[in-house]
Amino acid sequence: MAGVFEAEATEIDVQKGTIGVSVARKEDDRLLRGAGRFGDDVQPGHCLHLAVARCPFPHARIASIDVTQAAALDGVEDILLGSDVVSGSDPISVLRPVPDAPSLNFFAMATDVALFEGHPVASVVAVSRHIAEDAVALIEVDYEPLEHVFDVESAMDPRSPVLHPQVLQSNLLARNRTGAGDPEAKLAGADVVVEDRFVVNRVSGLPMETRVIVAEWQPGARELTVRHSTQVPHLVRKQLAESLRLDDGAVQVLATDVGGGFGLKLGIYPEDVLACLHAMRTGRPVKWVEDRIEFFRATTHARESLHRVRLGARSDGHIIAMTDVYDIDLGGYNSPMGSPQLTSVMFTGPYRINDARTERNVILTNKAPVGAYRGYGQPESCFVREVLVDRLARRLGADRIELRAQNMVRPEDMPWKSTSGATYDSGDYEACLRIAAEAIGYEEHIRRGRGPRSDGRYVGVGLASFVERTGYESSKFLANRRSRFGAHEGVVVRANRTGGVDVYNGVSTFGVGSETSFAQVVADVMSIDFDLVRVHLGDTAASPLNTGGFASRTLIASAGALRRAAEELRDKILRIGAFVLDAEVGDVMISGDAVCMRDDPERSVPLAEVHDRAIINQGMPPGEEPGLEASAQFEPAGAAYGYGTAAALVSVDPETGDYDVERFVVAHDCGNPVNPMLLDGQVVGGLAQGYGQAVMEELRYDEETGQLINGTMMDYFMPTAADLPEFELHHTYVPSPVTPFGIRGVGEVGTVPGAATLANAICDALADFGVEINRLPLTPELVWKQIQAARARGHRPDSDARVDEDRQGTDGERHEAT
Amino acid sequence: MKSAPFSYVRPESLADALGVLESSAGGARVLAGGQSLVPMLQMRLMQVDTLIDINRLPGLDDVRADGPETVFGPLVRHTMLESLPLVSERLPLLQSAIRYVGDPQIRNRGTIGGSLAQADPTGEIPLACLALDAVVVAQSVSGSRRIAIGDLLVGSYATALEPEEMITEVRVPPAAHHFAFLERNRKHNDFAVINVAIVGCRDSDGRWSSLRIALGGVNDRPVLAVEAASLLEGTMLEEEAVAEAAQLALEVVDPPSDIRASAEYRRHLVPIYVRRALTKLRDDHERPDV
Amino acid sequence: MSDRISVTLVVNGREYRRDVEPRMHLADFLRQELGLTGTHIGCEQGVCGNCTVLVAGKAVKSCLMFAPQAEGLEVTTVESLAGFDEELHPLQEAFKDAHALQCGYCTPGFLMAISALAAEGRRPTRDELRQELSGVICRCTGYENILTAAERYLSKQRVSEGVDGWGI
Repeated sequence: MAGVFEAEATEIDVQKGTIGVSVARKEDDRLLRGAGRFGDDVQPGHCLHLAVARCPFPHARIASIDVTQAAALDGVEDILLGSDVVSGSDPISVLRPVPDAPSLNFFAMATDVALFEGHPVASVVAVSRHIAEDAVALIEVDYEPLEHVFDVESAMDPRSPVLHPQVLQSNLLARNRTGAGDPEAKLAGADVVVEDRFVVNRVSGLPMETRVIVAEWQPGARELTVRHSTQVPHLVRKQLAESLRLDDGAVQVLATDVGGGFGLKLGIYPEDVLACLHAMRTGRPVKWVEDRIEFFRATTHARESLHRVRLGARSDGHIIAMTDVYDIDLGGYNSPMGSPQLTSVMFTGPYRINDARTERNVILTNKAPVGAYRGYGQPESCFVREVLVDRLARRLGADRIELRAQNMVRPEDMPWKSTSGATYDSGDYEACLRIAAEAIGYEEHIRRGRGPRSDGRYVGVGLASFVERTGYESSKFLANRRSRFGAHEGVVVRANRTGGVDVYNGVSTFGVGSETSFAQVVADVMSIDFDLVRVHLGDTAASPLNTGGFASRTLIASAGALRRAAEELRDKILRIGAFVLDAEVGDVMISGDAVCMRDDPERSVPLAEVHDRAIINQGMPPGEEPGLEASAQFEPAGAAYGYGTAAALVSVDPETGDYDVERFVVAHDCGNPVNPMLLDGQVVGGLAQGYGQAVMEELRYDEETGQLINGTMMDYFMPTAADLPEFELHHTYVPSPVTPFGIRGVGEVGTVPGAATLANAICDALADFGVEINRLPLTPELVWKQIQAARARGHRPDSDARVDEDRQGTDGERHEAT
Repeated sequence: MKSAPFSYVRPESLADALGVLESSAGGARVLAGGQSLVPMLQMRLMQVDTLIDINRLPGLDDVRADGPETVFGPLVRHTMLESLPLVSERLPLLQSAIRYVGDPQIRNRGTIGGSLAQADPTGEIPLACLALDAVVVAQSVSGSRRIAIGDLLVGSYATALEPEEMITEVRVPPAAHHFAFLERNRKHNDFAVINVAIVGCRDSDGRWSSLRIALGGVNDRPVLAVEAASLLEGTMLEEEAVAEAAQLALEVVDPPSDIRASAEYRRHLVPIYVRRALTKLRDDHERPDV
Repeated sequence: MSDRISVTLVVNGREYRRDVEPRMHLADFLRQELGLTGTHIGCEQGVCGNCTVLVAGKAVKSCLMFAPQAEGLEVTTVESLAGFDEELHPLQEAFKDAHALQCGYCTPGFLMAISALAAEGRRPTRDELRQELSGVICRCTGYENILTAAERYLSKQRVSEGVDGWGI
C-alpha cells in the first residue's frame, strides 16, 4: 500500500544500506559463528561465581540463618546476609515510579521478612557455580511462614496482612485516575452498555538468555566495571552507583550481546547489587548467571490484572463512553520499571471517544515483582476493549467492521488528543481495518453463514483494531510522572583514519538490529558506504548518556540524534573536501568512500585522506577546528503512534473446545520503514509472544501454598515452531509528522492485538452457542467451560433457547455434545 | 542449576553394572538416555551417590525377533525405534506413539528401558507397552525375573523395580494387527494431557476381538479399560457400542488436576478420546489381517 | 571438591583431554574447558534446545549429557561451520539472507539441528520442518524466517534414501 501523505522527512535514497532498504545485518556474522559475546561468554581469570539462597515461601519471617557449614565448604570465598546488604548498600531505585506511590525500599536482600518466593535471603560466591550451589544447599534457614496474600482481591481484604506497613496502611500502593469528560453520566444515558470483568494472565517474557552480570572492582582506584546483559547500560550504571554509594564516574557498564530483553532487562535487580558487593569485598571478578529455576522466581513477571470495563453506545453504534477500573497484581515490590502504564494511556484505542476514564489500582501481593514486558499494558487494554466492541456489535446486530470504522479517528482529525492526553500524530486507521478484513476473507465468511463446517467444526473470524504508542510524548510527560530518565538520545559520530565513521550509542544489542539500522541512517544522511559505518553500542564509557532500548523508542530518538551528528560531520567533511579539491562547498558531494565533484565524479579525494587531515590537523582549511567528530542529542517532538488491525480465522471443535488458528493476518502501519526486513522481524516476533500469551502461557500460583505451580520450562508453555501459525503481514506507510524520517517505533506492536483477535474469533465461531470470553489464556478447557456456562444460561447451538436438563450433569461430568 | 556431586562409573559389562547397583545399597541410579534423569539431578530434585552409565554396554541396544515375540534391549533409542522395519511390520503402534515422545534431540538419546523405568503416568512408551501387553526382564546380581507391564508400573513415577534391579529386556508378544493412537498436548512435544492406545483384531466380517484399550494421563499410571474392551468383544465397533464403551472407560480413571488440565476436563475428554480412537481403529483399513 | 574424571573427546575434528567433575554437563565442558562459547545454555532442563550440538552426528541437547558420557565420541559445534578467516557457511548465509536471527542466542542450536537434517539427507516440507525444529525454542523471531532459511538451505543439499547407524 502506498504512503498517503508527504511529510517533512529527508529524501529517501534507495541505495544499498540506506533508509528503506532491507540490508542484511551487521550483527549477524559474529552471532552466526557463535562468536557473539553474551554475558556468560565473558570468562575473566580468578572469577568467583555467585549463587543465591532464596525464600521458598511467599511470605515468611526469617527467624535465623546458619551459614557455618556453607562457609566451611572448600572453594567458598564469601557469604552475604541481609544485614550486610542493608548496611552496605542502598535500596534499588525505581526508574519509572507509580504516580502517588511511596517508596518501598527494595534492598537487594531480605532481612527479617521475605515477601515473595524467590526473595534472596543469603548469597555465596565460590570458585565454581557448582560449589556455590552446594554451599547454598548447606545454608540452614529457619523460616516462619506467614499468611500470604494470594491475589488482588484478597490483598484488599482488610483481614489480609499489610505487606509494607512502614509506608502503607493497606496493600494498595497507589490509585491513579486518567480520563476526560463524564463517562459515568454518558454510560447512564447510553442505549446499550456492554460490560464485564476481565482476567489477564500473569506471564513471563522469557528471553532465551537469562540475566547475567560480571562485576570487577579495582580496589585502589575504587572503580567498578560491570558487564551486563541489559537493555539500558546507562540506567544500570546510575542505579548501581546509587545502590553502591559510588560516583557515576566510578562505574562503567558494558552491555554484552543480549540474548533477548523484552523489557525484563531494564534496570538492576538484587543479584546485580549482590554480585558487585561480593566483588568489592573479595577484590575478584564475580559472575552471576541466572538459572532457569531462579528466572521464574526472580526476574519480573508481567501483565497480571483484573479489569472491570464498561462500554456504552447509542443504538446507531456510536460509542459514547468507556470506563475501566483495573487492579494490577504487582507482586511483593515495585520493580525499577514497575507496573505497566500504557493500559490507561491507550485505553480508547483507535476510537473517537471523548468521555472515558480509567482507574488503576496498583496492588501488592506475595508474588514475584511485576515489571515491563513488551507492550507495557497495551495488550491488556486492547483485549478488554476489542472484546467488548465485538460484543457490542453482536448486541446491536451490527457489522463488526462497520461498527469499528464508524467510530475510528479519521486522518483529518489528526492530531487528535485522546481522553488520556495522548496525541495521536497521524494515520489512517480505517485503511488497515479494511485491508485486514479483505485479507482474512471477512465478506466470504459472512456470506457463508452460521452452522458447522463439513468436518463438524465451527468457523469464526475475529478482528482487533489498535493504536500503539511508540516513544515518549516528551520529557515533560516523563517529568510529570517523575521518571528517572529522559525521552532523548545521544550519539557520537567520529571519523576514523580508514575513511569510515564510528558511531557510539549507549543502547545495547538485544536483537532489534540497532547496529544495522543506525548505520543505515548515517549512511543515508552522509551518502557514505554502509560498510564504512561501524556502530559501537552499550558502553557507558564510550557513549553519551543514553536512555536505553525500550518503549519502541530507540530508533525514533536515535535517528534524530544520528541525523544531527551525521549532518554536522558531513558538512565538515564537505568543507575539507572542497578545500582539497579547490572547489566550492556547493559543488562537492560525498559518494561512497570519497568526496567528489558533483559534475565530475572522477575528480575526488578519498574519505580516508579527508579524515586523516582533520584527525592530525594538517592540510585543513583555514579557520577550521581540528578533529572530525560530532555529538548530538535529540528528543522527538512527540510520540509516534503505530496502529493497525489484526484478524484471525479459527475453527472450533465445540465438543472439546479445541481450536485451530487457520489464518492470522495483521495490517499495520509503522510509518516509513528504515529496514523493512528487520521491521517485519520485529512485528512477527511480537505476534509470536502475543500469541503465546493468548493461547497457552500463564504463570500460576497455588492458592493454598502461595508458591509457583509451574516455574520450569516444562510447565510454562511457550510456543515452539510447531505451535505457531504463519503470520501474514500487510503494511501501510503513513509517515509520522513528529519523528525523524517519519518513522514509528515497531518493537512492541506485535504483542498488542493477538489475545483480542483470537478471543473475538472464537466468540464469533461459537456465537450460536452464546459463548463469551473474558479471561486469558484461551485454552481449549476455557473454551469448553464457556460453552458449558453458556448452556447453563440457556443457550443452544440451534435457535431453540431451551435449557436441556437431561444434558446437565450434577457432579461436573458432562455428557458428549451432539 | 548444577547437579549435586556424584561418582560416575562406566562399567564394561552388565555384570559389573549390576554389581555396582548391588553394592550401592540404593544410592546408585542407572544412566541411560538421561533425558528425564539429568534434568531432575540438575534441578536438585534428586541426588545420587553414583551414576552408572550403561550407554556403552554391548548388546543392550539390539532389537530382535524371538519367534513371534519382539525383544528390545533397554538401550534402544527412540529414533531407532521410529525407523526400524521390524517394528514397522510387527509393532506399528510403537512407531505412532514414539512420534509424540519429546522432540528429535530427545528421541536421539531417550531409550525404551529408560522410559519404562521413569514410569511417567503420561508416557507414550509405558502406555504403548501396556496396550501391547509387554513384559520386562529385570536383572540383579541375584538373578532375573519377568515383570508384566501392568505390574511394573505401580504409580506416578514409581515402578516395582528393586533398587538393585535393572531392566535388561523388553519383550513384546505378537500384537493384534490393528491399532490406533491418539494424544493430546497443551503444546507440541509436551507431556500428554491424555493419550489412548488401542490394539485389536478384525476378522473378514468386520468383527473385533482381543481389544486392549489403554489410557494415559488420567490416572497415576497408564490403565486398561478392561470392561470397555470386553463390551466391544465380537462387535463391529458400531457407533452405539463404541459410545457405551467410551463411557465405561471412565470407571478406570482418576485424573489429576494440574497445570495442563483440571480433573473435570480430563474426565470430559476420556470418553471423547476413547470414542475417537475406536472410530479411528474401525475406519483405518490400511493393514489387512493375515 | 569431588573427584575429577578424565575426559577425552574429539570436538570439531580436534582431540581434547580435560579433567573435570563428572557432574559437569557437556555444554559447560565445551564452554568453560574448551572456550567454545558458541553453544549456549538456555535452561539446563532439556526444553529450550539452545544447547543443541551433534554427538556422533546426531543432534542432542548438550545440557543433558554429562561430560564423561562423551568420552571417545565426536562432537560437532557451531564453530565447525566456518573457521575464523573463512566465509560464512552456506547455512549461515541462508540465515543472514532470510533475517533468521535477532538476538542470536538460540541460533547455534538451530544451525546444528538443521546441520543434522542435512547430514541425514533429509528434505522436510515446511510443515515437517516445524516439527523437526520444534526442539529448539526461539523467543525473538516467531520462527518464520528460520523455517525459510532452513527450507532454502536444505533444498540445495543432496537428498539421501536411508539413515545410517547409531554410533552412540
